Amino acid sequence: MIKERPDENEDIHTLIERVKKRDREAFMTVTALYQKKVFLLAFSFFHNREDALDIVQETFLRLYQKVHLFRKGQNFQNWLLQIAKNLCIDYHRKNYSKSKEYNREKPIEEMNLALSDEKDPYLSSDLKGIFSECVKKLATKQRLIFVMKHYNQLEYQEIAQILGIALGTVKSLHFKAVQNMRGLVAPYLGRQL
Amino acid sequence: MTECKKFKKDFVALLSQELDEEKTKLLQSHLDRCPDCKREMAQLEKFMKGAESLKMDIEQAMETVDWEELPRKITENVFKQEVSALKESWLGRLSRFLFQPRLRPVYAGLLLGVLLGSLATYLILRAPQLKEARSTKISVPSNFLESMELEMARRETLDYLERSQYLLLDFIQSPSEKSAEFWQSEFASQKARDLLAKKKYINPQLDKYQMAKAKIICDQIELLFYELSQISVKLSAGEIKKIQKFIEEKQILMKIDLLKKELGKSEV
Repeated sequence: MIKERPDENEDIHTLIERVKKRDREAFMTVTALYQKKVFLLAFSFFHNREDALDIVQETFLRLYQKVHLFRKGQNFQNWLLQIAKNLCIDYHRKNYSKSKEYNREKPIEEMNLALSDEKDPYLSSDLKGIFSECVKKLATKQRLIFVMKHYNQLEYQEIAQILGIALGTVKSLHFKAVQNMRGLVAPYLGRQL
Repeated sequence: MTECKKFKKDFVALLSQELDEEKTKLLQSHLDRCPDCKREMAQLEKFMKGAESLKMDIEQAMETVDWEELPRKITENVFKQEVSALKESWLGRLSRFLFQPRLRPVYAGLLLGVLLGSLATYLILRAPQLKEARSTKISVPSNFLESMELEMARRETLDYLERSQYLLLDFIQSPSEKSAEFWQSEFASQKARDLLAKKKYINPQLDKYQMAKAKIICDQIELLFYELSQISVKLSAGEIKKIQKFIEEKQILMKIDLLKKELGKSEV
């Protein structure tokens, strides 16, 4: 059983110091601790399991290569998610052409929304499909903030650190992302949104 | 209305629990007073909950991943890549050293040297006679050697004629009682043998340089010496005397003189 939480006496900074010394066990522990958080971010971004796993693999490889750049006072999770975020953007730029991005399995118009029959459109069985398609249509930064806030459940302060932008900018971009998302899902879920 | 617009900007932050206490209180009191904003807030809350639906999808995807195995796999790959990166970096360093820009002139010089060396080797092996001709550093006109050989042949012939003339003169002038023994003497037979040998040597030269006149006389002299050295033993003194007279009558010695003069003037 791989540890998912560091021991009381062994905080993340001690583990990182061991990783810096190329300690295999410490590296495996760090990976076990943070793999889900990285996967969550990548999956929310791409909505594709395989791509998300590629990002997880690549993120920890990059961590191993750049661990010497990590300073003790920094927040390790934010530092790691910053790496993951950059990889997501690069991966998206490299592998997701416009045609691929919109090459979804099921056209959004064909999804089972049953607008007229259901009182609450949020009960629709394809709701998550609509949301995942609409998230993809957001601008990269807005998408990242939306994903980090809603699925990684990070605070504005942490998102600001990961993206390297001001706190006010995060707040304003989150607001814009929510407004845009509402505009994007509205045609499918009813005008009442 | 302006107040509503100002508060609406904080709706998302409030629902995300990112608004500080003071602002939260202000917004709550506004929502209590403003039914439009309250409705808007309710719709936004519904949307935010709807967005949570994506979480279910994420949770489903996460259930398909073996979180126990993944760290092992990642660690294994990372450490494997590190080993290959180390190897690569060793090769990379070597290739960087070998192909560094400042070594380019050296490689260019080496390449040029190899090319020139190959070309020179090819030319030398292709025309060896050219090399020999160049290495002697002596150049003579092509007809020089020919004229040299002609001159040598002429001198050889002159020498042959002169020695033959002396021998014949000795033979003619020998006293009649001793003339029969002349060709049996060691001195004469040796001279005759030498002259016969010399004739054999100058024969090809006489043919080569077309000294026809000289050749006829030389042939007659040769035949004469041959006969005399072979048969003189069996001849009587009278017959020897006859031969001596025959030589005088035929003016062989004079012919030899004339030929010598002609050869001396290169008119043969």
